[in-house]
Amino acid sequence: MKYELRIGAKTFGVEIEESGKARTVNAKVDDHQWPVSYQAVSPNALHFEVNEEAVRAYLARKNGEKHIFINGRGYVVSEKHFQSGKGRTKKKWEDSPGEVTPPMPSVVVRILIEEGHWVEKGQGLIVVSAMKMETTLKAPIAGEVVKINTALQAKVMPGDLLVEIKEGTKEDE
Amino acid sequence: MFKKILIANRGEIAVRIMRTCREMGLKTVAVYSEADAAALHVLEADQAVFLGPSEPAQSYLNAQGLIKAALDTGAEAVHPGYGFLAENAEFAEACEKAGLVFVGPPGPVIRDLGNKTVARKIMNAANVPVIPGMMTTSTDPLVLAQEAEKIGYPVIIKAEAGGGGKGMRIVSDRAALEETVISCRSEAEKAFGNGALYLEKHLRRPRHIEFQILADHHGKVIHLFERECSIQRRHQKIIEETPSPLMTPDLRQRMGQAAVAAAKASGYRNAGTVEFLVDQDGRFYFLEVNTRLQVEHPITEMTTGKDLVREQIAIAWGDPLSFTQEEIGQQGHALECRIYAEDPEADFFPSPGQILFLQEPSGPGVRNDCGIYSGFEVPVEYDPILSKLIVHGPNREAARQRMIRALEHYAILGIRTTIPFLVDVLRSPAFTRGETYTDFIDCHFPTWKQSEETAPLAALAYGIDELISGGRKPERMINKGIPSPWETLGPWRMGKP
Repeated sequence: MKYELRIGAKTFGVEIEESGKARTVNAKVDDHQWPVSYQAVSPNALHFEVNEEAVRAYLARKNGEKHIFINGRGYVVSEKHFQSGKGRTKKKWEDSPGEVTPPMPSVVVRILIEEGHWVEKGQGLIVVSAMKMETTLKAPIAGEVVKINTALQAKVMPGDLLVEIKEGTKEDE
Repeated sequence: MFKKILIANRGEIAVRIMRTCREMGLKTVAVYSEADAAALHVLEADQAVFLGPSEPAQSYLNAQGLIKAALDTGAEAVHPGYGFLAENAEFAEACEKAGLVFVGPPGPVIRDLGNKTVARKIMNAANVPVIPGMMTTSTDPLVLAQEAEKIGYPVIIKAEAGGGGKGMRIVSDRAALEETVISCRSEAEKAFGNGALYLEKHLRRPRHIEFQILADHHGKVIHLFERECSIQRRHQKIIEETPSPLMTPDLRQRMGQAAVAAAKASGYRNAGTVEFLVDQDGRFYFLEVNTRLQVEHPITEMTTGKDLVREQIAIAWGDPLSFTQEEIGQQGHALECRIYAEDPEADFFPSPGQILFLQEPSGPGVRNDCGIYSGFEVPVEYDPILSKLIVHGPNREAARQRMIRALEHYAILGIRTTIPFLVDVLRSPAFTRGETYTDFIDCHFPTWKQSEETAPLAALAYGIDELISGGRKPERMINKGIPSPWETLGPWRMGKP
């Protein structure tokens, strides 16, 4: 079987072939190829030996992604073209640098700007609270606040565009 | 001795207190909110009482609801844990008024020490050194700006009713003062219902060292040595250890004496913690007294062999302390790592959600005080602490290696946690050398990304798992194989041993 897997920003090509021996496969990750012997300890724990190294991986699946933990490192692994289907589209920052969204589910506790205000890069715009912690969402770019899409006490989610900023400086006008 | 105790808290600390109660033969009563109906502390108790909606004000902060729960279930004492009402003088007094024993100091002592400026005055009068700064409070940014000029920047803003870093920020110049004051005031009002602030001189690169104290009702006060708590993010501790790498026998003796003097000056009873900052020249300053069991109390338990919750309950019952200062020793070295539901790659932002799978570490010298299980939904309403991993070893280096080993086998899947970050901190040369200052994380880990050296192995694990599980429904991967507390705790909840 061949997989194209995504871990964070990186992709890995993985090939797994049965070797004919029990619990042993020939595996290829990108350009590296090894025989791998494995043992499923439980549905959530996988033990395998690769390149004379024993690896204990803990796994859980959710919504088409696998959460994998190996030696103190946690990874979320999915097929390359998998889209996390949560309904809301989380816009990529590079696509729309002037849009401000909270990093996690939270509640808006203060709004520090008004529509039409000019802001500096890094200026505080909105304060949200989650798990008893307040966080100030800052302007990712300098420009004019063209839209505020939220209100005090609103429950907001990652992907919600709370503030839209049009890049520029007041002198450009 | 008491027969039944209500634990007015949730999460890992409620579970930990119940364990000692069970060992002492005391019945336990848990309380819970809507979000916590299936929480571990509810499953651990002999009885559980529903308090109300998830919002803390309507559940864990509802003093009358808690007292009613205690009276209804026939509990004779209330253990507040830490956080919530643990340092609330009115609650302690309301318990006593209702005929319940509050496991902690008397209300007036909590009130004096909880008011940070009153505490500073008490310590000043008892010749315990305090940090230069204000002895009064204000909510007015202009008044605070004037005081800051007098003290000299950098200053640290603190809440009169403070704790846990809430309402606390460092300000390095006049320009940032006003906005920061407003933010701190709001945070303090929300966390403590009191927005009054004061300023202290901000010490450069101090260490945070605290002393555990025990005071009985017969005038005896002792200390159980220090805890070093310098590794902090957002003024909240993340790694603690004892003994402190900085400590010398002479400094330990002087600070221990100051801690006992501080407890005596305030009329302290039960377990408490006297916090100090130690500057670059080895001078120490009183910071505050925490009038409760500390989150990091287990490292003291590991090195002294004392169960602090047992001591708290015995003191609350009226027993005299069963040991003297001279009978307490420190053995070996203990470390604690706090495991938070936070994303260390995103400025430690909270990461609530469902635990898909939990594998706790074990082995020699490893203790995990844990409030979660596979399948548990971590609520957004409460503090992000999931568990505390504690290790004990013959010396600091052995304990450090042991902690790394334990963290590497501590799998919490489904949410982001501080585990990968903690591994890197423990492995860092600066931590290994014991260079632990309160600016440690800003200095050595200002931004942190998980290294990806084992990412190819994760990709490989994905592929092998596909091969093994071929055709298996994804849902079957969650919550199977390892018995959950629902399964393991079931039988003895029925009241049979």
